[in-house]
Parts: sequence; structure tokens; C-alpha cells
Amino acid sequence: MRLLPSQENAILASPMVLFLLALLGFPVVLSIIYGFSEASFQSLMSPKLIGIANFQLVLQDSAFWDAAWFSLRFGVITALLECVLGLFLAVYLAPLIRENGWMVAVLIIPMIVAPAMIGLMYRLVLHEFAGPVPYYFYEWLGWSPSFLSTGMVFQTIVVAETLQWTPFAFLLFLTAYQAIPQDIREAAAVDGTRPWRMFWKIELPQMLPTLFVAGFIRFIDGFRVFDNIYTLVGAGPGGSTTSMSIYIYETFLRRGEIGKAMAAAILLFVVAFAILALGQSLMRKRR
Amino acid sequence: MMLSRKFLCSTALAVLLTGTASAEVTVLGWPGGPEEAALRAVTEIYNAKTDLAQEDKVELLFTSRDGFFDKLQVDLAAGSTAFDANLIATYSIGRYAPFLEPITLSDEAGSVFGDTVLSTMQFDGAQYGVPTDLSLHFLYFRKDLIDALMADDTAKSLYGDISEKYLGERLAPKNPEEWTWRDFAANALYFSQSVNPDSPTRYGTVIQMKNLLFNMMVFHSLPRSYGANWMDDDGNITVDSEAYRTALELAKMLYDAGATPPDSTSYEYAEANAAYSAGQVAAMVQWNAAASDLVAAQPETVTQAPPTGPDGRFTHIHGLGLGLNAAAENKEGARAFLQWLSTQEAALAYARSGGAPGLATATAEKLADERPDLVQVGDYASNYGFVMNGGTSENALSVYEAQAKEFTGYWAGTQSLDDAMSNISASMTELLK
Repeated sequence: MRLLPSQENAILASPMVLFLLALLGFPVVLSIIYGFSEASFQSLMSPKLIGIANFQLVLQDSAFWDAAWFSLRFGVITALLECVLGLFLAVYLAPLIRENGWMVAVLIIPMIVAPAMIGLMYRLVLHEFAGPVPYYFYEWLGWSPSFLSTGMVFQTIVVAETLQWTPFAFLLFLTAYQAIPQDIREAAAVDGTRPWRMFWKIELPQMLPTLFVAGFIRFIDGFRVFDNIYTLVGAGPGGSTTSMSIYIYETFLRRGEIGKAMAAAILLFVVAFAILALGQSLMRKRR
Repeated sequence: MMLSRKFLCSTALAVLLTGTASAEVTVLGWPGGPEEAALRAVTEIYNAKTDLAQEDKVELLFTSRDGFFDKLQVDLAAGSTAFDANLIATYSIGRYAPFLEPITLSDEAGSVFGDTVLSTMQFDGAQYGVPTDLSLHFLYFRKDLIDALMADDTAKSLYGDISEKYLGERLAPKNPEEWTWRDFAANALYFSQSVNPDSPTRYGTVIQMKNLLFNMMVFHSLPRSYGANWMDDDGNITVDSEAYRTALELAKMLYDAGATPPDSTSYEYAEANAAYSAGQVAAMVQWNAAASDLVAAQPETVTQAPPTGPDGRFTHIHGLGLGLNAAAENKEGARAFLQWLSTQEAALAYARSGGAPGLATATAEKLADERPDLVQVGDYASNYGFVMNGGTSENALSVYEAQAKEFTGYWAGTQSLDDAMSNISASMTELLK
């Protein structure tokens, strides 16, 4: 008996699907139950179903919207910066890397470091009295910016995130750039195309799908940022650096409002899933 | 070769199992500091007692400080039997109380610790823990700087000008023992280069303004000296008071004037200590635990109780201790160990091993030569120590969290004082109802 391709796909994917269901299914079901229940640490074993009250509470909470706005700004800005820098590095360094492949290993080191470690590292490096950066500012200029003050903290965490994750975008762009057939470039060169025009009209369009995927992944990652911000500055004065993930963490563990935290997590999941579906649909249309 | 591997594995397993079986009371302690060393030392003494049954010997369990209380909360709520007794802290007793059982201390506990310290482990009138370590706040100041200021008439005049400009009254430099909070502020302004470019230090003080509950504890000695409290005796929330407003405004004035580093809104214990240790800060209020580090870094440092206010001198106290897990498998063994920990014998051994118990004056004096700092801690705890009304309630931790969010928002300029007061009143009314 010969199986149809769709049947073959289903059979081949089933072990992974079963594994994911077993691994993620239980916590997801539990989260959904708690999201619709009145639950605290005292009533963890006996949650009381209360319908959509937790969702109403979350949506009426100004701190939730502040966190959503922070995550959106952070996700968009860091994704843009990482893609622009990553693209520049990939194109600029491609000829050099062709001869010296080991450079890739050096350039991707930042993304190997745990984000929480990055936060702690900057906490030390930027400290006015213990950090080398303010030290040299004072040494050379007699003055130093206050990197973690209220006015600068957002820029500082954006830079920290960008420096850590630009290598990810760079790696994707480098692979895409190197995959462009050389004969296209040679034909364009024979026709007298200048390098800048070749980049805009030939290379960049070829890399657009990768650009979209990299930007999308980095946005999702930036939107749900937690570790590096939390270890560097916490939730921020007045909650000014509270991302969606930090909001959920603090609601769950600090305030013990388990139902509300789960409702916020479900909303975050729904939004992320909607964005993912939209992205995939756009990709399909482009193809 | 195969046989010897099997033999080695079986032997290792047997040794491990024997170890577990011989220690039937498991105690979850506070890891990685002098508290761990002290608890290990007293446990050795306890386990060496000849009349102790094998099944009541104590084994210690340590995890990591990061997220310790979050993990503990989940463990207790899940009815974990992995430990029989566990660490508790003053501000979290109310939250953990449903998963703990009250204990009975030894008859001598009252005279060993004193009532103020014992109250840091009480909730709803019941004793939930034996106090092991006490934390309160000292005023740390550089004596060399104060002495130089007091000896210079030109400096005194400038000090008066600065205090008049920023505080609205002309103040004269004083010995820190006589400081009010306004003297503390005047001193902080005088020793800040943003206010006085000739200051020998870059900042006059360092205030920990990060959105963090522990920073609120450090701050609370100030509003309390103006009469602040969380609730009155009838349970009404009294946070929106002149006392809290005055204290918050004083801290914000110092921040805006540059008397504390601009990064202070991201500072906690370690950052503040680093600032002081660098020799760029003239005076600060900090936990007593920092004393040895700060004095070692700046040998001219002198410690004393925080400044006074219209309602007196206060220092916020909170304690660490050990309580009984309601799901414990060996409750009697754990009760016996906790009761022994509250004896003078155990408290003195704990102190000698590096712990910082809050001891009554008479007990602390027995250690005057070895641990003079404990005499000071005991003295300040007895005379100036306070816990806010509701400070051990179920949601005390959340109250500190909410205050940290609202107060730091005001200091950083992200919201007005009225908004901060309105928000915190609403939060505390909900949390302490």
C-alpha cells in the first residue's frame, strides 16, 4: 500500500507532536484552568472557576498596558537595530569571512552568553564606582553619563540587547548573502552595475525573505524579554522597565495573583500566535 | 573490571542511603553567607548530643539565594516534604503561615532575645519561628570628613548657606549622634559636588532607590521618625500621611539636587556599598550586615543608629528565622531542634560562628569581646527597632513591592507625589483588608 504524501507527513510528524503534547500539554492545560480561576498560593490545590474575571482584571490594569507598550517599543526598536547592524556586518565582512571562516565563531560569541549573565555583566561594567566604562569617562572627560538613570535606562537596555543579538541576525544574513549565486553578480558586473546598485537591486531583494524571518524572530524575542532587563535594572522605577514577561512574573510570584498572571500569559500567547499567523500568511503571499 | 564498577556503585549508593537515613530532620537554611556557616556550626553541636535519638539528628539543605523565597513559596504551597523546618523572614511569615505550624520556644527564649526580636517571628499572636539573624539599619559616616567640617569656619558658613537654600532653614554642622534627618540632608548636600564643587566626595549620600522591596525597608526608618505607619489600630490605611510625604519629598530633593548618584534608581545593597567603599560618599543609611565591609574599605567610618525625627529615632528591623513546615514528616524532631535553637547555649554558639542573632543586652554582653557589633545591634533593636502595623501580615511582602513601585516612580519623576500616594493607598487597602 502506498501512502499519500500528506499521510506520510502526518505519520512522520506524530512522534514530535506526541512528545510536545506530553511535555507542554499538562502545563498549558493547567495554565488555562488557573487563568479562568481564582487562585493564589493558598488555594493552589483548589482553584475556584470564575469565568473571564481574570481577563477583565488584566485588561483593566494600567500596568499591563504599560508593560505591553514597553514590550512593543522594545521589540520593534531592537529588532530594527539588530537587522540593520546584522545586515551591514554580513555584507561588509562577507569577503573577509570567505578567507577567514573562524571570524564567524568570534562574532557570534555574545549570543552564546546567557542573557541573565549579560544583565549582570552590564550592571558591573556600567556602575559609576566599580565599572570600567564610567571610570574611563571620568578619567578622560571628567564626567560620565549615568547609563542606568531614569532618562537613559531604556537606551542602555536597548543597546545591551542589540549588542547581544545582532550576531544572530548577522549569521542569518551572512548565510543568505553567501547563497546568492555568484553568476548573477558576475552578469550584473559585466553589464556595468555599480556595487551600491547591485546591493539595492539584486542582493537585497534576494535576501528579503531572510530579512523578514530574522526581523520577526528578533521582534518576538524582544517582545518577551525578561532575563537581561530583570538582572540589570529589575522592573524599573515606577515599573518603567516592566516588560510583559516581567509583569507576568511579578504578578505570579511577587503578588501571588496566580489567576491574573495566567490570564496575562494566555493573552500574551494569543497575541504572539496571531502575529505568527499573520507573518506566515504574508510570507505565503510573497511566495 | 565490570564487577569492581558494580561494587563501587553499590557501595556509593549504600553510603548515600545511610547518610540520608541517619539524618531524619531536614532543615532548609539560608544559603551562601554567614548564616549558613553559623547554622552548620550549631547543627554539629546539636547532632553531637549524646541523648539525641538517631532519627532526630539534623541534616541541612541549601539551595541558592536567587529566587529563594519564590521557590520556597511554591514548595510550601505544594505541600513539599523535602524539609521539616525552613527559613522564614519577618515580612513573609503571614504569607507562609498557612503552610507552617506554630512552635514553642524554650523557657529562656524571652531573656535570650527580648520581646522585640521574638515579635519579628510572630503572626496573629502565635510564634511561627525561632529568630536566628536580625537585620536593622546603621547610619555610616566618615568621621574624618565631619571632623574637618566642624573645624573650618568657612565650611560651616557654606554649610549654613546650602541648608538655607535647599531646606529653608540655616543649619549648623553637628556631631552625627545629634543629627535629625534634616541635618542628614544638609550634610548630604554639603558633601555633594553638584551643590558644593569643592566637596571632597562626589556625593553626600547614596540612597538605594531601585524598585525593590528591600530598599523600602531601608527607607522606612525615615518616615517612621516622622510618625508614619501602614495602618492605625482600627485597621485603616494611613500611608497617605504628612509623615510619608515629608520623607518622600526629602529623598526626592536629595536625588534631584545630585546628593545621591543619578543611577541610584538602579541601586540596591551591592551598588550602594560600592559607592561608599570607593570613598565618594560621605554618609549613608545601610543594613548592619555591611558594617565589616564598609569599615574595611573606609577605616574612618563610624556606625550609629539612623538620625532622629519629630517622633523619635527608629531603625526598621526584620529577622530571619526557622519555622516548622506543616507538611513535615518528622515534626517532633524538628520541634525539638527549633526549641533548642532558642536556648542561650545555641544562640551564643550561633553568634560565635558568624551569625547575627538579635540578642537581649544581657546576652549580647557575654559576647562583648568577640562580637561587639552584636551589642550595638541588640541595643538598637531594643531601643529603636520597629515593625510597621501589618508588617508580618499575609501580604506584607506585596505591600513592600507596591511601595517600591510607587515611591520609586515618584523619585524618578514618572509620577507625581499625589498619584503615588493615591495608588499606594488603593493597593494597600486591597492588600491589607
